Amino acid sequence: MSLVAEDILIVLPEIIVSLMACLILVLDLYLPARLRAWTSFSLALVTLLITVLIILSNSDSNSVVGLNSLVVKDRISDLLKAGICLFSAVVFVYSRRYALERGFWRGEYVVLGLFGVVGMMIMTSAYHLLTVYIGVELLALCLYAMVGMQRDSIPASEAAMKLFVLGALASGVLLYGMSLLYGLTGTLVISEMSTEVGQIGTPGLPLILALILVVTGLLFKIGAVPFHMWVPDVYEGAPTSTTLFLAAAPKLAACAMILRLLAEGLEGLFQTWQEMLIAASLFSVVLGNVVAIAQKNIKRMLAYSAISHMGFFLLGILSGTAMGYSAALTYILIYGVITLGVFGVVLTLTRQGTEADLIEDYKGLNHQHPWLAFLMLLLMFSLAGVPPTIGFYAKLSVLQSVIDAELAWVAVIAVISAVVGAFYYLRIVKIMYFESPDTGTDIQLNCGNAQHLILSLNALVVVAAMPWIGTLAEICSQAVASIR
Amino acid sequence: MLANYLPILLFLIVSIGLGFTLLVAGKLLSPSKPSAQKNSPYECGFEAFEDARMKFDVRYYLVAILFILFDLEIAFLFPWAIVLDDIGVFGFLAMVVFLLVLVVGFIYEWMRGALEWE
Amino acid sequence: MTLLSVVFYVLAAVLVGSSAMVISVRNPVKAALFLVLCFFSAACIWITLEAEFLAITLVLVYVGAVMVLFLFVVMMLDIDIVQMREGFTRYLPVGAVIAGIMMVEIALVVLSGRFELDNVARPAGQPADYSNTRELGLLLYTDYVLAFEVAGLILLVAIVAAIALTLRRRPETLYQKPSMQVQVKKSDRLRVVDVPSGTRQGDVE
Repeated sequence: MSLVAEDILIVLPEIIVSLMACLILVLDLYLPARLRAWTSFSLALVTLLITVLIILSNSDSNSVVGLNSLVVKDRISDLLKAGICLFSAVVFVYSRRYALERGFWRGEYVVLGLFGVVGMMIMTSAYHLLTVYIGVELLALCLYAMVGMQRDSIPASEAAMKLFVLGALASGVLLYGMSLLYGLTGTLVISEMSTEVGQIGTPGLPLILALILVVTGLLFKIGAVPFHMWVPDVYEGAPTSTTLFLAAAPKLAACAMILRLLAEGLEGLFQTWQEMLIAASLFSVVLGNVVAIAQKNIKRMLAYSAISHMGFFLLGILSGTAMGYSAALTYILIYGVITLGVFGVVLTLTRQGTEADLIEDYKGLNHQHPWLAFLMLLLMFSLAGVPPTIGFYAKLSVLQSVIDAELAWVAVIAVISAVVGAFYYLRIVKIMYFESPDTGTDIQLNCGNAQHLILSLNALVVVAAMPWIGTLAEICSQAVASIR
Repeated sequence: MLANYLPILLFLIVSIGLGFTLLVAGKLLSPSKPSAQKNSPYECGFEAFEDARMKFDVRYYLVAILFILFDLEIAFLFPWAIVLDDIGVFGFLAMVVFLLVLVVGFIYEWMRGALEWE
Repeated sequence: MTLLSVVFYVLAAVLVGSSAMVISVRNPVKAALFLVLCFFSAACIWITLEAEFLAITLVLVYVGAVMVLFLFVVMMLDIDIVQMREGFTRYLPVGAVIAGIMMVEIALVVLSGRFELDNVARPAGQPADYSNTRELGLLLYTDYVLAFEVAGLILLVAIVAAIALTLRRRPETLYQKPSMQVQVKKSDRLRVVDVPSGTRQGDVE
C-alpha cells in the first residue's frame, strides 16, 4: 500500500494539530517558566487558526474516501472540522486567565486540549467503525484528564471520576454494538454497512440489539435523557474552562458521528431508531427544561439546558429527511456559538477564590457592568429562542423539519417545553436588570481586552448574524447532501 | 490448527486436576486445629499495632501506569517485527512515526521527572 | 457435541462464574485474582477462535500489567469495605429489576434463532502453519495505518494525563544527582590552606 496525496489531504488537519501538540509538549519542557505560559497558548491559537484556514482552502464539494476507507473528506467534515478548531481556539482565549489563576494552565492543559481537537476531527471524518471508536476514545481520554486537572478541587476530581466511569461504560456499550454490527453485516465501512443493512429487509432481533447498543452509546456521549446522569455533575464539578471546552466543540463531533452512523450507515433501520430518538429527544427536552428551573448554580442550570438543547438537536435527526439533518447541523453550530458566549461571560465574572457560579452572583450586574449584562441578555434570549436571535432560527428550522416529517405532536411537546424553558433564561435577565446587588459586593470583571473583544463579538453574533442565517442554512444543506 | 493445541489442553487438565487433588488431599489428611491465637497475624510476638492497609504514595501507581503504557507499545512491535519483510518501507515508516510519538511521551516523562524517585 | 464445544462451554462457564465472583466476594484481593481467572479464560476462548496473538496480548497486558496495578491499588488503598457496601441492600431491588429486564432481553435475542448464526457458515479452520500474528501485522501497518498512529497518540495522551494528574514536585526532598557527583573536581571539594605555624586555624579566615 502506498499513500497518495489525496489520502494525506484528508487527514492533513489532524496531522498538523498533532504535530503542533507534540511540539508544544516538548517546548514546554525546555523553555524558561516565564515564556512557557505564553508560547503554549499562542502556538495553540496559531495552530488552530491555521488549521481552520487550511481546511477552508481545501474545501470542495467532492467527497473523497481514503486511507482504505478509514476516513472521508466531504462537506460535513470540512464544515465541522473548521467549526471545532475555531470553537476550541475561542475556548483557549476564554479559559487562559481562569486556568492561570487556579494554577492548572500548564503546557499539558493546552496539549490535552489540542489532542482532544484531533480526536474530534477524527470523529468527524470517520468512515469506518474503527476510526469512529478510536476518535471517541482519544477525545474522551483528553476530557477525563482536563476535568481532573485541578487536582486540589474535590468536586473536580469527583466529576472526573464520574465522567470516566460512565464514559468508559458508554464506550463499552458502543463498542459492543459495533462488534455486533460487524458480525451481522460483515463490514466495518459505513457505506458498505449501509448497503448490507439495506438488503436485510425486516431486521431481526440481533440487529435491533446492535442498533440499541449503538444508539445508547451515542446518546450517552451527547448526554441525552435517559443517559444524561453525568452531565449536570460534570458541568458543575469541572473547572469552568473545561466545562466550556466539553460543552461546545465535542457536540459538533458527536453530530458528525450521529449523522454518519445513523443517517448513513444504519439508514435501513430508520423506522426503528426514529422511535428511540423520539423518546430520547422528548424526554431530554422536557426533563432538561423542567429541572433547570430548580437550579441555583448557573453551571448546573446550563447543564440541564444543554440536555434540553440536545433534545432539540435530536428532533432534527429523527425527522430523517435531508432538511432535518441540515436543521440539526445548523442547530448544533448555533448552539455551540451561544454556549461559548455564555460560558465566556461566566468565566469573565470569576476571580481567584470566587467561582461566580451561583445565579445570585448575577444580581444587579446591569448596575455595575451594563455592557456585560447586555451581552448576557442577548445570549439568554438566544438560548431561549426569542426572535430575532439565531437561537430562534435554529429552533424554528428544527421544528419545521419535524412537522414536515408528520410528527406534529412531537413538535407541540417540544414547543411547550421550550416555553417552560424560557422561564429560567429570562429569570437570569430579571436578576441582572431588576434586582439590586447585595450591598458591599463589587462585581469585578476579570478579562483582558482581547478576551473582552472576542466575547463581545461572540455575543453580538447571535443577533448580528441574522441577515446571513440563510447562507448558513444553505451551507448546512449542501453539507448534508453528501450523505448517501 | 486447533488440533495442535490438544497437548496444551491435556496439560491444563492434568495440572488443574493435580493441583486440585493436592489441595483437597492436604485439607482432608492434615490435622487442623485452628484457634484465635494461631490465626492472628504474627508481628514479632507483639499484638498487631495497626491495620496493614495504609495509603501509599501515588508514585507507585504512576510507575505502574507508565509501565503498562510502554508494555502496550511493545505489544504493537511483535506483529510488526514478524511481517517487516512484507510490508516494506511503508510499514517501517509507519512504525517509526508511532515510535516517534511515544518518544515524545518519553522525553516528556523524563524531563518532568516522572522517572525520578525523590 | 465436538470436543471444541465442550472446551468452549467449560471455559465460558469458568468465565461467567469467575466474573460473578469478582463482584460478589468480600475480599478485594480475591476479587482481583478472580479477575485474573476471568481474563485467562477469555484468552483461552480467543485461542479456540484462532486469535492467538490477541489472546497472548490479553494475558501479557491485562494479567501481566493491568492486574498488577489493580492488586497494587487494592492492597494498598485504605478502603473501608463495610462502609462501601452500605448502600448494597438499599439499591439491590432496583439493580435486580434492571438486571432481570436485561437478562430477559438478552435471552429473547439469543433465543431468536441463535443470533442468526445459521445464516453464516462457520469459518473453516486454518492450517497449522497459519500465523495469526502475521495476518494482523499485514493489515495493521498498511491498511489500518491511520488507526495505528492514532493508537500511538492515545498512548501519548495517556502518558501525559497520568503524569499531569499524579506527579507532584516535592522541593523539600533531597536526592543525589549522579551526574553532578561524577563531574565534581578536586577544586570543588578540597581547599588547601597554608596555615602558618603558631596561628590557630580559625584566624586564617
